[in-house]
Amino acid sequence: MDALVAQHLLNWLVLASIYTLLALGFSLLFGVLDVIHFSHGDVAMVAPFVALLVVQTVAGLAAPMGAPAALVLAILVSMVAIGLLGVLLDWLVIRRFRNAPAMMALVATVALGTVIREMIRTFYPQGSNPKPFPSIASGSFAIGDFVVPTFSLIVIGVSIAMVVALFALLTYTPVGMRIRAVAEDRNIARLMAIRPSRIFAITFFIASAVGAIGAVFFVSHAGVVRFDFGVQLGLIGFSAAVIGGLGSMQGAILGSLLIAGVDVLVQIGVPDGASYRLVFMFVLTILVLVLKPSGLLGKPVFEKV
Amino acid sequence: MSHTGIETDVPAVRQGGATNAAIVTAVEIGGAALLGAFLLSDKTVIIVALLAVMGAIFAVLQLRPRVEERIVAAFRDQRRLSMALGAVIVLTYPFFMNGSSYVLHLLIVAQLYAVLALALNFQLGSANIPNFATGASYGIGAYTSALLAINFGISFWWTLPASAVVATVFGFLLGFPSMRTKDSYLALVTIAFAIVVHQLLNNFAWTGGANGLVGIPAPTLFGHSFAQPIVIFGWRLPSQANFYYLAAALVCLSIVAAKRLHESRVGLAWNALRADPLAARCQGIDIVRYKMLAFGVDAFLAAFAGTIYAFYVSYISPDNFTFLVSVTIMTMVIVGGMDNTLGVIIGAFLLTMLPEKLRIFSDYRLLFVGVIVILFLILRPQGLFPQRARNYGAHP
Repeated sequence: MDALVAQHLLNWLVLASIYTLLALGFSLLFGVLDVIHFSHGDVAMVAPFVALLVVQTVAGLAAPMGAPAALVLAILVSMVAIGLLGVLLDWLVIRRFRNAPAMMALVATVALGTVIREMIRTFYPQGSNPKPFPSIASGSFAIGDFVVPTFSLIVIGVSIAMVVALFALLTYTPVGMRIRAVAEDRNIARLMAIRPSRIFAITFFIASAVGAIGAVFFVSHAGVVRFDFGVQLGLIGFSAAVIGGLGSMQGAILGSLLIAGVDVLVQIGVPDGASYRLVFMFVLTILVLVLKPSGLLGKPVFEKV
Repeated sequence: MSHTGIETDVPAVRQGGATNAAIVTAVEIGGAALLGAFLLSDKTVIIVALLAVMGAIFAVLQLRPRVEERIVAAFRDQRRLSMALGAVIVLTYPFFMNGSSYVLHLLIVAQLYAVLALALNFQLGSANIPNFATGASYGIGAYTSALLAINFGISFWWTLPASAVVATVFGFLLGFPSMRTKDSYLALVTIAFAIVVHQLLNNFAWTGGANGLVGIPAPTLFGHSFAQPIVIFGWRLPSQANFYYLAAALVCLSIVAAKRLHESRVGLAWNALRADPLAARCQGIDIVRYKMLAFGVDAFLAAFAGTIYAFYVSYISPDNFTFLVSVTIMTMVIVGGMDNTLGVIIGAFLLTMLPEKLRIFSDYRLLFVGVIVILFLILRPQGLFPQRARNYGAHP
């Protein structure tokens, strides 16, 4: 029984880690750019496809690498590629909505998500079919009578490392200070000789690259990847960020823990839970927003007259 | 015309009634002919050419604002003529469609989307409330009427109001969180609502699960079944014509509702809400009440459209009412022009027919539409027909 509980707890932490990696991106982008990047999930979901391409290319080389090494390389390459893709999309589309009403940016990024999905579906080789995705790490080890898959440990470990690194970057480095300055007030930051456009590009790179890892973990967890997985993952990540309070990193983590908790609890406790998990997750989202309109850790907004 | 005591129909621009009448006639018949040619042609070259013509017209309107003003003035002057001519065109339109049931089908779907877009326009256009759940209200309406008709044998004409009431109750329920949340947070609430509704429809046994509901009986009117073709004076219209006229009546109702609401205190309150909620509140406008009302009106009209859709296709499944349907409706409002009735309708027609007519590029269809929407938002964010300032009889 204890082992079962521990198993569920582990599952909860894995899901929460994956959702956190997505939610952080939403929160960061909203905090710095005041934009809801609705296609964030779709951008991140390009990563597994890039990774698959890299794995295939490496396998075709004259001197093939070992499978784990190839996969690590593939993930690193896809991280950088998705970071750059985020910067490119910002430059092409999203920056044009900096001063537009929030609704415009929202609809534009929803359309952008469609474009990204359709691009994968039509231009990636056999893009409309689901593709098996290799597990990052097979194998497991036992602590007492409780089996810990290595994969779970890697996901949780990497996510914690990411969060710590991001926190350190934002708090202790000059770049982080500039990012926070621009988030605070981009016009005054400009007076301090900070170029907001450059900070925006850096923010997009970080958010997209972190999301890319989340997407790779997600499909590795599921064992399969499809071009439209990004919609659901994006919505869950967005909900986690909003529940926690947009713009707050701690909020993104808290929101992800909550959403993942509901996810796991429903799958254990509700009959036919797998088909109702989205219902419960989004009912939770609505309830939290009704009770705390700007999220759990979000600052309440007071309008000045 | 005006019952608000405010004279809106001032003969300010009387530069020859005959010229104005000619302009009105030319614009209406020209528009109808362009749409008809677009619908009936199946050659790629012609379709692309017609699209180019439409683009050119919009470019002229964009670059020469005086042309647009002249046309608007003509329509204001010849209001009776424009309405009568419009009615005649709508009534006789199916007769010019060579009896093609596919074209009529497109027209029906486009009209239903026009109603949905007008419904959303009350919120997004008039009051600037982001609502991504119009598709869900549409679905609730469709499922309510289908369930009533299948399980209890209730006739179409009774399910119409019943489903509207049910959807409105859900609309108020959805509006409830809007008392405290706003902007992106409210948008997420409506998105979550849309997903919850879709997932529940997809999972409940009594809604038929993912298979949906089959065998919704066709409505009848005075003994005439809507599954039968219409025969008038030897002219024979395919059975879709029944629903074409039904949908046209609903569009008409929506336009009247939109106009009346726009000219009433409610419309004014919504516009105040859009301009600045805080200032509106200071003026003594009960913003919670008007926000809730906007959600209710949206759901009410959407349910009408849903009922007609359910009885028209006689088969509904949860996939007809996904979150992406709501996004499509929202795109129609934004592309057409927020808070502009004509613009919203044209937006709905364009975005329904473009993907259908672009089937030649079948694989790239969605991609193409997505790119067009993004380009549109960048190049002409105010929409095809921007909202007009309210005009209380002063010179334009």
